Amino acid sequence: MATGVNAYAAINARVRVMYSTLMTAQDWSGLCESPDLAALTVALKRTAYGPYLEKVNDKDLTPRRIVYQVRNRLADVYVSIIHMAPEQSRDVLLQMLRYFEVDNLKAVLRGIVTGATWDRVRFVLFPSTSLTNLPAQAMMEAGGVAPAIELLQGTPYYATLSYAIKRYNAEQNLFPLEVALDLSYWRDLWHNVNRLSTQERTPALKIVGSLIDMNNLMWAIRYRVYHKLSEEEVINYTLPFGYHVHDSDIRAIAAGADISQIVKRIYPDLQDVEVLLDEGGKGLPELELQLKRHVLKQCRAAFTGDPFTIGLPLAYLALSDFEIQDLTVLIEAKSSNLKAEEFQPYLIAGCAENH
Amino acid sequence: MFFPRAMTEIELVVPSADLVEVTKMIGDQGIFQQVDSAYLSSNKAPGQTPSWQERVSAYSTMERRIQSLFSTLNLNEGLPPKEGLQSMIDLESIRPAVDGIEKEVKDVTDQMTASRKKIDQLETIRQQLESLTDIDIDISAMRNHRYLFSILGTMPADNIDRLKTSLSRIPYFFEVLRQDPQKSVVWLAGTQNNSDVLERAARSAYLNALSLPADYQGTPAEIIQTVNSDVKEEHKHIDELSKQLVQLSDKYKAQLSLLYWNVHTSRLLADAIVRFGQLRYTYIIVGWIPSSYLENFQQRLKKVSKEALLEAFPAKREGKNQDVPVSLLNPALLRPFELLTTTYARPMYNEIDPTPFIAILFPLLFGAMFGDVGQGLVLALLGWLLTSRRVKKLRGLASLGPIITACGVIATIFGFLYGSFFGYEDVLPALWIRPTTNILNILIITVIAGVFLLTLGFLVSIYNAYQRRDWGNLFFDHYGLAGLVLYWSLVGLGAGALSPTFPIPSGVFVVGIVIGVVGVGGSEIFRHLVEGHRPLLEGEAGSYAIQAFFELFETFISFISNSLSFMRVGAFAVAHGTLSSVFFILGNLVDPGHGIFYWLIFLIGNIFIVGFEGLIVGIQTMRLSYYEFFGKFFTGGGRRYEPLALKPTENEG
Repeated sequence: MATGVNAYAAINARVRVMYSTLMTAQDWSGLCESPDLAALTVALKRTAYGPYLEKVNDKDLTPRRIVYQVRNRLADVYVSIIHMAPEQSRDVLLQMLRYFEVDNLKAVLRGIVTGATWDRVRFVLFPSTSLTNLPAQAMMEAGGVAPAIELLQGTPYYATLSYAIKRYNAEQNLFPLEVALDLSYWRDLWHNVNRLSTQERTPALKIVGSLIDMNNLMWAIRYRVYHKLSEEEVINYTLPFGYHVHDSDIRAIAAGADISQIVKRIYPDLQDVEVLLDEGGKGLPELELQLKRHVLKQCRAAFTGDPFTIGLPLAYLALSDFEIQDLTVLIEAKSSNLKAEEFQPYLIAGCAENH
Repeated sequence: MFFPRAMTEIELVVPSADLVEVTKMIGDQGIFQQVDSAYLSSNKAPGQTPSWQERVSAYSTMERRIQSLFSTLNLNEGLPPKEGLQSMIDLESIRPAVDGIEKEVKDVTDQMTASRKKIDQLETIRQQLESLTDIDIDISAMRNHRYLFSILGTMPADNIDRLKTSLSRIPYFFEVLRQDPQKSVVWLAGTQNNSDVLERAARSAYLNALSLPADYQGTPAEIIQTVNSDVKEEHKHIDELSKQLVQLSDKYKAQLSLLYWNVHTSRLLADAIVRFGQLRYTYIIVGWIPSSYLENFQQRLKKVSKEALLEAFPAKREGKNQDVPVSLLNPALLRPFELLTTTYARPMYNEIDPTPFIAILFPLLFGAMFGDVGQGLVLALLGWLLTSRRVKKLRGLASLGPIITACGVIATIFGFLYGSFFGYEDVLPALWIRPTTNILNILIITVIAGVFLLTLGFLVSIYNAYQRRDWGNLFFDHYGLAGLVLYWSLVGLGAGALSPTFPIPSGVFVVGIVIGVVGVGGSEIFRHLVEGHRPLLEGEAGSYAIQAFFELFETFISFISNSLSFMRVGAFAVAHGTLSSVFFILGNLVDPGHGIFYWLIFLIGNIFIVGFEGLIVGIQTMRLSYYEFFGKFFTGGGRRYEPLALKPTENEG
């Protein structure tokens, strides 16, 4: 089994080339200044996403379709990196890709419950790749949540959902299914990272652990603040591990401790935490955005450390995802004719000031 | 034989009154390939198109319903009746019959579904209880306890620790009764005072409580016994219902088959009519038929419609004929080899069909590489077995049977020529040459054979260009005349260098090379000149010169590599003999006395050679045929001939 320089020399070079194609402050500034969606699309066609947008006729480029095409690039990047990655790190990278499959699964289940058609749902999904095999259309056409889940036999999701389906049947609410999927996904990712060698684990934990921290913390806060769940439910719906966020923090939140104190202790750099949490939950999206920016910094920092580990591809993939999240905000903002000051606060890294 | 079947395009103008009869006549013949001419329809045709489309849809629905009955009753559609099929069956006349059969079948299948569902439920109960068989407590006693709250159930193993953490503030009892990697059977208990917390924790940890119907009483072992007996009863019920289904299929088999073929035929006819051009009082039908059937077609048309008009346009071989459907025309003996041709590509209408060449070339190359009397006969026998369709599991490979037989027969002939019998080289005399002892000779012979085969490829390429009236490529392509001159001049020069007594002076070949180089190198300019295309040279002269140089260089390389490629035929002939001797050496090592183990290794060796080496030689033969030979002249891309046929026929593929 190749390790270190041997294993990561090629992928390191490739990722660095791809890193250079991420959008620059200048690109963002140009995109943000586009007067409308049509102009934004033209500007986007001049970036690395151009070839993906060129594949579709201009008249078919609705905001949803633009996002779909843009995400196609991330799908290709994932496949390319996974194929190049050394064997020992492939499970982790593949699990990272499954994040989008889990998201697709949730979108399909929501589509089934709301009676949406396949045509309506298909471009909301993350594009399928040669490494993922969710029978999305067949699920949509299965005629219900339970038969759709039956179609997942042989996938990593079937066992999880076959437990949770009993609660769905009783409560007719997708919440238990989605929580079960999330917990199972992050648990598997954590296990995969912990199976890496010590040398690999540390940089991987920096990225994956930060993502787990962000999600776990936001879940705990949301379950308590938004959903008003009991202590035992919050504990059962969260993860007992993380990078900086420990089980004791989550349990303290579940037990009713002062959330802002806990958040400030873990993330001393975050601003206005009390204010955000005092707004009865209204400030939570802003808090999540700040946490994402924190992860973003971790990812960028990965490019200055030891380049011959899994940390570099993981960081690049996370950065690409953040870039696409920002583009999604921008595309929706331009299609709704929002002013710059209305959408810029919702960008993670986009537009000049965040670079 | 060397060209696809001659085709004629026909245009029919049919009065509306004769439409169905004419369409049926066309479908019955099974020779007419329809061209969609709906675009010719006049908008004034009052609402007829939707009406035919609606009929197609109605027939399709009925066809699917009958097919679904076939599937449920484990029947197939059978063969179409020889007579008695209606052109356009009235669906209302058959609907009551189909409804009736469907109802009878559905009554039985619904009961079967209900029984199967019940069995599933019982199986779930049994699975839940199987881990508890050693627990000697009455499960029903755990229900409705006054002070104790308890849940017996299953949960994901990953959630157990988290569940315990979530209950850390209250007293509770938790026991894992059975631990599986995925699913654990657990018992959670606590006081009724804390039932809310326990219930919430269990629910959020996805602990699914065991759900037993109230009428199941006793210990887990006792309940399992009751469940087993209930499952047995349900299975018995399903068996009875299956017998009823068999009776129903016997009862309705003939009726359903007749209904199916009537509906299927009507659907095909309606489907064809939708794609006719519709005018106010007439229909326009456009399509292709093989020219040889034209006269017969006209006669039959006159019988069904006196007023129908037919205009025929025979397709010419010359020029570009991409729309003409291609029906290969080969004698029965060569027809199995069409598979090899169509796997590569379907010839164009104006292109030579390479099937006759491949029918000779493929077995010949294979036999030369695999020459052995015994193994060749085994292969021929295997091919015969496949062709005969005697072995049910091998029926899917039946189309390969004749090819394998031919390869086996030629391998046997080469076996006599090489004097090889199941690898033994001292049993038979070699009628021609022993490859293992004449390695250089066999290699030279195969390269010479390759040169002649490549030349044949050049000639066919030139002929195809002539058929297309593509003068530019005929003269100046690297597989055209210029290429042929260049190739043979190179071959001659090489032969002269190797043999001092070669009769033709090398100057002749040098002149030939110069002509070839100028022709192929300047092909673009010459082509433009011949085709009247101006300017003669597109782009700069310098870049053209560089491009021409590299193309010429590539042509030289490919001529050499293509010719040497045939050396593999000789190499495999040698390797075949050597591989056999390896197994003899192995046999002698294991059993020097030539006892049972020696013959066992002999057998394994021969199975290996016939199976594995046979496969490799087959692949090499295909490579030589496709790449070295077809690549020279065969463009392909012809349209498949798919005539409208109301009954299943064995049209060529």
